[in-house]
Amino acid sequence: MVDVPVRRRGGLGLAVVAAFVVVAALAQPWLRRVLDVPAVANWSTIFVAVVVQASPFLVLGVAVSGAVAAFVPPGAISRLLPARPALAVPVAAVAGAALPGCECGSVPVARRLMGHGVAPAAALTFLLSSPAVNPVVLVATAVAFPGRPEMVLGRAAGGLLAAAGVGWVWSAIGRDDLLARARRPGHDAGSPLATFLATAQHDFLSAGGFLVIGAAAAATLQTVVPRSVVDAFATSPWGSVLALAVLAVVLAICSEADAFVAASLRQFSPTAQLAFLVVGPMVDVKLIALHAGTFGRAFTVRFVPLAFASALGSAALVGWWLL
Amino acid sequence: MSTEAGGTAVLLVGVLLVRLVVTDTYQRFVQVGMGPWLLAAGVLLAALGLVAVVRGLRAPATTVPHQDDHDRDHDHAHGDRIGWLLLVPVLAVLLAPPPALGSYGVDRSSGVTVTAGGRTYSPLAAGGEYPMALREFGERAVDANGASFAGNPVELTGFVARPDDTGGFRLARFQISCCAADAVAAVVRVYGVATVAPEQDRWLTVVGTFRGVGPDGVPELDAAATVPVDAPVDPYE
Repeated sequence: MVDVPVRRRGGLGLAVVAAFVVVAALAQPWLRRVLDVPAVANWSTIFVAVVVQASPFLVLGVAVSGAVAAFVPPGAISRLLPARPALAVPVAAVAGAALPGCECGSVPVARRLMGHGVAPAAALTFLLSSPAVNPVVLVATAVAFPGRPEMVLGRAAGGLLAAAGVGWVWSAIGRDDLLARARRPGHDAGSPLATFLATAQHDFLSAGGFLVIGAAAAATLQTVVPRSVVDAFATSPWGSVLALAVLAVVLAICSEADAFVAASLRQFSPTAQLAFLVVGPMVDVKLIALHAGTFGRAFTVRFVPLAFASALGSAALVGWWLL
Repeated sequence: MSTEAGGTAVLLVGVLLVRLVVTDTYQRFVQVGMGPWLLAAGVLLAALGLVAVVRGLRAPATTVPHQDDHDRDHDHAHGDRIGWLLLVPVLAVLLAPPPALGSYGVDRSSGVTVTAGGRTYSPLAAGGEYPMALREFGERAVDANGASFAGNPVELTGFVARPDDTGGFRLARFQISCCAADAVAAVVRVYGVATVAPEQDRWLTVVGTFRGVGPDGVPELDAAATVPVDAPVDPYE
């Protein structure tokens, strides 16, 4: 009874692979000619680049997620957190600093935390703070802004504030029912090793698939929208902050590299550069695709504007105070 | 997605990453330092996929009954079917390998006008011919109006971004800090001998001396020799 549906779906998978191979073999000459169009070549390079550079971080993320599912007893992590959401949220924000990765890796981990009984507000805070303030990202920021430690401090403060802000708002008015699918416990595949492998594979495939959609969106925007459109806002103080926040969403640069890009945007104010650094790890086109795929569309349309507003507000506040 | 079908997709992604590193093609997409990480990720993914395929193929004989099987399969089918999309970048690299970033992106990236970044350079010792990154050329050009060149010839390697640029041609090279998505271009306008036609996107090594900075902020070079070269394995600076 178990074997029949499994075998049938295996057949479907084989059919998909076979179809890909046939189409690929027939379309190859055409595909190569399409690359002669410079815009297409530019698009495909950026598309592949985003997927390739995200993959090691995604592997780290699904390894952590698989390990949590397989080796950490359910409920153990939530017992470490304070019971009151108002306190659990800042603890989760600081705990995010412990996972050295970029934003793609933290999505499966946050989902797994929810599955293990961690309150959604705390798991979402972790989701936002982990890519924004982890040590690797802060060191990269220090390297990109030599002699300007206030950018590192501003990034850490702004990232923690923005992540905790989202957590507090979610614990007050968030709808946990939208996260029912993500909060379901992981699959127990028998032994811990089998659970680890099954969870890692499942999380890699679902996050990786949406990463591909996000990379395609980022490559399209980079190819179609000229940078001069953004540069036009450089002179207005509020316009420049908003322009770089939007640019961070559009470019979808990994949080370990975004400091170098922010540093090259010299025509913008320091507060605008900080907005780029705080918004980018929390909201970008590739993350929106990942969130929608992992947590559902109804959740994403509420969460993304909240995260964007919180990141922008925190960056403006910290920038006004520090920079 | 069944275990073995999903495993096949994971295996393919892993093999692709290993292949990109082994052939050095990865340098078109990401910074050179990422190589070991890509290799590690590729090996781990290939192993994960291989184990899943082997287990999946053996499963009919050794299937472990699951109490919540229906629910589990339902969740799986909807949760990771999207993973088939991973085959798109795999096929893109295998069938139509994307080139390194070229002239199309040069005018679209900001930061074309290089600023010194507060750096000051000590003068080059006389009598040498200096291979130099385009970025450094631009930084030296705006540092005390190029005084640090001290009249020495320099050697620049880049691709032609504009075959005709107010009497010369424009040479460019990208800098990346992580991947091609964060690339910023440095450009130089080259005047002088046209031993080869500066075709768009052709890679050239140019030897010449610093001429000045144009009214548009682009540094300029008087070329003594222009040699076509193959695109370097690491196309970025």
